[in-house]
Amino acid sequence: MFGSLANLQPRQLAAQVLNFALVLSTAFMLWKGLSVFTDSSSPIVVVLSGSMEPAFQRGDLLFLWNRGQETQVGEVVVYNVRGKDIPIVHRVIRRFGGGSAPLNLLTKGDNNAADDTELYARGQSYLDRSKDVIGSVVGYVPFVGYVTILLSEYPWLKTAMLVFMALSVVLQRE
Amino acid sequence: MAESKISPHNLNELKNTTDDALGNYLRSLKFSQSNSKLDVRLAIGYTSVIIAAATFAADYKLGWEATKTWTAVAVVAYAILNGAFTYWMWAVEKGLIFEGTNAQGGRLSISSKTNKHDPTYYLTISSTSPGSSSPSTWHIKNPFTTWFTADGFFVAKPFQQWLASSIEMIGDADMKNALRDERDELAAPTPEVEIIGDGSGNGTVEASGVDAKSKGSKRGKKKA
Repeated sequence: MFGSLANLQPRQLAAQVLNFALVLSTAFMLWKGLSVFTDSSSPIVVVLSGSMEPAFQRGDLLFLWNRGQETQVGEVVVYNVRGKDIPIVHRVIRRFGGGSAPLNLLTKGDNNAADDTELYARGQSYLDRSKDVIGSVVGYVPFVGYVTILLSEYPWLKTAMLVFMALSVVLQRE
Repeated sequence: MAESKISPHNLNELKNTTDDALGNYLRSLKFSQSNSKLDVRLAIGYTSVIIAAATFAADYKLGWEATKTWTAVAVVAYAILNGAFTYWMWAVEKGLIFEGTNAQGGRLSISSKTNKHDPTYYLTISSTSPGSSSPSTWHIKNPFTTWFTADGFFVAKPFQQWLASSIEMIGDADMKNALRDERDELAAPTPEVEIIGDGSGNGTVEASGVDAKSKGSKRGKKKA
């Protein structure tokens, strides 16, 4: 199989490499296009904990929307804690400010006993809507996200998948 | 040429191996290949890949908030280039596998395709002789079994004979593979064998007839 690859003309080899590069770059640009459309840095997230049960289970795939900053009480938002890069999905239970003033939010997990002040960064007692929140949940697909949970919990799976994808694209000419 | 064994049940492999062999064959016959169409595709494709890579690098280093506007621009540019790429492949290249000129200045371009569940190699040939400006275009086809053995080895001889016999410009460059009489029989089959093919003596008559015909065609070719 590799022999047939070595037999290719330089241009054909370049075309073959291009096919693989285009698969990767198109996937990336579709993701970025969705980011631009939803105005959110990560428009699709996976629920990692059970803190929002029974609304959302571990492994649910959530679709976010970040246009329109007037988030209301009862909406489920995804936010990043300052200094940590782990997105958390919880429900808004209080809002302060809004309108012309900057909007601040207090959140709580449906399944948690207390609100999120404990989770926030040191000295922070509320979320800044425009800085901390990645988006509001507008749709979800149950269970599908389990694939990514498996991939992050077993990193070798990720490597195996990438290698398999790369080989299949390079070796199979369409 | 393609000495490696392939799976004879994989239509893609049959087509790709044959496409490669066709290019090698024509290059060996001193056709000078023109790669301009493939080069345009490569240019469009690699430009879009570079745009995506730059977007990735910027996003990785500066983060989403800082790169928002430029990401939007890059996404639009990428979409346009991708559309152009697809258009080029489907509307301009159309399965082009060889384009080039022979020593006399005649232009030849060959596109190939296969249909699902049909192990037949379809070629669209377009040739322009040195003097004229309008190309003549025609289609030929042949089952892959003509030049692949049952266990997946490519055999060059029957493949080259097929091309040399059905494409004038290739036949002129490769006379020993241009079986004029065979082509003529394929085009207008004369049922000589069925009519007189019952005695052993008829076989020799037939063979000499074929010989004479092929000599005649070769002479004719040299004049042309």
